[in-house]
Amino acid sequence: MDPFATLGAPRRFDLDLSALEKTHRELSRALHPDKFAQAGASERRAALEKAANVNEAWRALRDPIRRAEALFQAEGLAVGETHEPKASPAFLMAVMEEREALSEARAARDLAKVKTLGAGIASRAKTAESRLTAGFAGGSPSKDELATLLPLLGELRFYRRFLDEVEAIEEEAEEAALARANEVSS
Amino acid sequence: MSQVPSSGLLEIFDPKAPPKAIGIDLGTTNSLVAYVKNERPTTVKDCDQAALLPSVVHYGDAGEVVVGRNAQLRAAEHPRETIVSVKRFMGRGGDDPETRRLGPYAFVAPEAGTANVVRFAVGRKVVTPVEVSAEILRSLRRLAEDELRSVGGAVITVPAYFDDAQRQATKDAGRLAGLEVLRLLNEPTAAALAYGLEKKQNGKFAVYDLGGGTFDITILVLDDGVFQVRSTGGDSALGGDDMDRALAEEIFRLTGRDAGGATPGEVRVVLDLARRIKHGLTDAMVVDFESPFGAGGSRGADGGASLSITRARFDELVEPLLARTGAACRRALKDAGMKADELDGVILVGGSTRVPAVRSWVAKTFGNEPLGDIDPEEVVALGAAIQANLLAGEGTADDVLLLDVIPLSLGIEVGGGIVDRILPRNTTTPAAARAAYTTQEDKQTGFEIHVVQGERELAADCRSLARFTLKGIPPMAAGMARLEVTFRVDADGLLSVHAREERTGVEQTVSVKPSYGLDDDTVEQMLLDAIDHGEEDLAARKLAEVRVEASRVAASTKKSLAADPDLLEPGEASRIEAAIADLEKAIGGADARRIELKIEDLDAATKTFAGRRMNRAIAQAIEGQALDTVERSVEHAKGIEAAHAESGPLPPAPPSG
Repeated sequence: MDPFATLGAPRRFDLDLSALEKTHRELSRALHPDKFAQAGASERRAALEKAANVNEAWRALRDPIRRAEALFQAEGLAVGETHEPKASPAFLMAVMEEREALSEARAARDLAKVKTLGAGIASRAKTAESRLTAGFAGGSPSKDELATLLPLLGELRFYRRFLDEVEAIEEEAEEAALARANEVSS
Repeated sequence: MSQVPSSGLLEIFDPKAPPKAIGIDLGTTNSLVAYVKNERPTTVKDCDQAALLPSVVHYGDAGEVVVGRNAQLRAAEHPRETIVSVKRFMGRGGDDPETRRLGPYAFVAPEAGTANVVRFAVGRKVVTPVEVSAEILRSLRRLAEDELRSVGGAVITVPAYFDDAQRQATKDAGRLAGLEVLRLLNEPTAAALAYGLEKKQNGKFAVYDLGGGTFDITILVLDDGVFQVRSTGGDSALGGDDMDRALAEEIFRLTGRDAGGATPGEVRVVLDLARRIKHGLTDAMVVDFESPFGAGGSRGADGGASLSITRARFDELVEPLLARTGAACRRALKDAGMKADELDGVILVGGSTRVPAVRSWVAKTFGNEPLGDIDPEEVVALGAAIQANLLAGEGTADDVLLLDVIPLSLGIEVGGGIVDRILPRNTTTPAAARAAYTTQEDKQTGFEIHVVQGERELAADCRSLARFTLKGIPPMAAGMARLEVTFRVDADGLLSVHAREERTGVEQTVSVKPSYGLDDDTVEQMLLDAIDHGEEDLAARKLAEVRVEASRVAASTKKSLAADPDLLEPGEASRIEAAIADLEKAIGGADARRIELKIEDLDAATKTFAGRRMNRAIAQAIEGQALDTVERSVEHAKGIEAAHAESGPLPPAPPSG
């Protein structure tokens, strides 16, 4: 399933998500099974299937990583960690250092440091995304261009895992602070 | 109250009077039924003018079943034969240690080879939570029939946080009660529907639903009639019952009694007292009461047993429960990508939100005075009635739509006991997603598929929904087979799983029921048993139901033919019309099976036409959008139709239950 085609969206990385959300809503209005509660089984089944496809397409396109995957797939490339080329040693090295710094900051309960590390990775993720935007801005990229863009997927996945971890650490700290505040007040 | 207007009499005998769709709130503590009367949702009241039916079922010595207030009266004397808060047991495993904590019942271990569900010994009988719930639903159905004469389909509400097994159990209970379950609807969404339609408010809302036994928090956006749930969270074992329990423990402390040594009857008496004190503290700052154990247990003024509990003390007891709801609220907001101060309002649902401590806690947490102007105990049933009316095709507000989500992630167990998430929580329903796997060993001829629900990384920590094995794959080298697993979740939130080996085409589809549910045969048998007890005539009911369904299908097909005649291929119209004529002839007869067959024939005849109509609907929806986006050209809209036409090698849906 090509989610771009399903939602009638142009094949590019920088989508107008609020316009797409409206499209999704209008498609849901047209297809949701509740609209076919009185219909015959064949229409109910067809509506259910299409509504599920539309939901799945919207879920894919609003997620930057899945949107990028869909763009590569539409160009005939296989995606997923086993299909993509291995990350460069330089990237892996840099990544390892960041990870170590994060676990040290976590162990030291240095929340400011955790935030700084997160902000650094977030800005690198932004850079990767803008390279994807440029790469897919003018229709199908050439084979060579695709080859240089593909490693960005792996990078984005790494950045996401890193940022998830940052968020988990922040949440942990917030919950702990709340628990302390509750103890004091009661 | 015996004034029956003549028009009422006419209604009774009018064979064309259409059955009315109803909405049911099947609550932990109380249940109620509502319908839309003159475009307004209203609850059905019993002969005492009460809308709330206590969700209590008593099984008497003589085999009689008593539901509601009369059952409640027998609870103290017959704690084991009187099931309260049965909702807490729905969809739970019979071996789940958590269930033992929940009441003074005589549990029966499931026999080998039977479904792993909770079983209560009530006198000489053994009943499951599905059967107990069905008794409550049956009472509500009768109540509605007294007022409406003929009841059509029903929308039954469930906590948004209910997992697949709990939803399936609820649907089974509806069937067992002789209801056509149009839809399971999430309680918070139902509440929002009741508010949204009546107040015409657009914006971002939280629904804080603290019922008798469950807590749900839902964040949703109302926009031009579309209710889009953004996130949902909660705790399916937290509610007013826990407040009662905390108060009961306090009563035991005050009377110097040991709660552990109390008899089931004493526990019930103290719990009832606790509930009355809780209700009293909604308006009063202090409630005085007599010790339930008589004078012996305490040091009252005149040597009697006058005790009291203040609201401040009650607030303290409730505080830990509210803190538990707080964690769920923060997570739901985060999942929705919102901050508390972005919300336009908080809707209160559930009897437990009458407790002042809850209201002030909600106001403090969300920085927003909560909305509670619709009775929090009726709002869910009222919303369900609106939805039932819409589904029955009688609503006037045609552009209302509810977009709900999956409350807990769904996935399968892969190597190392890790869960591979296929549909994450908060995915909009209906949903379908696929994942591909391969064999790990040479010559492996079967795949074991273990379906789980939950947020933990390890399958062992999640709820096990089903296990099945895809067999008959020819031996291949490891990594050669390609197994594609498809998850589909329908608008009720119910999952079905389809597995297919790509090279050989071996495939299997299961509706996810087995682990903690009753299979279809068991439910069917229970239905038959109910009939044996002289209740209803199953055959007659079945015929009536299938006739209604057949007339509906015939009418809707005619409407489709009239709406899109240009989509018909040569000869197609006459084939479909012939199938309609055959069906209508069968409706005139009395053979239910024959009518069913003719429905299937008509279904087959309209299959491709239905697909074309759906593609047109899609193209129109997108073109409508394209008008206000310059970039989107007509070409795109055209491309869509092609994309949807070829998009679907999704496997066939399983037969709907």
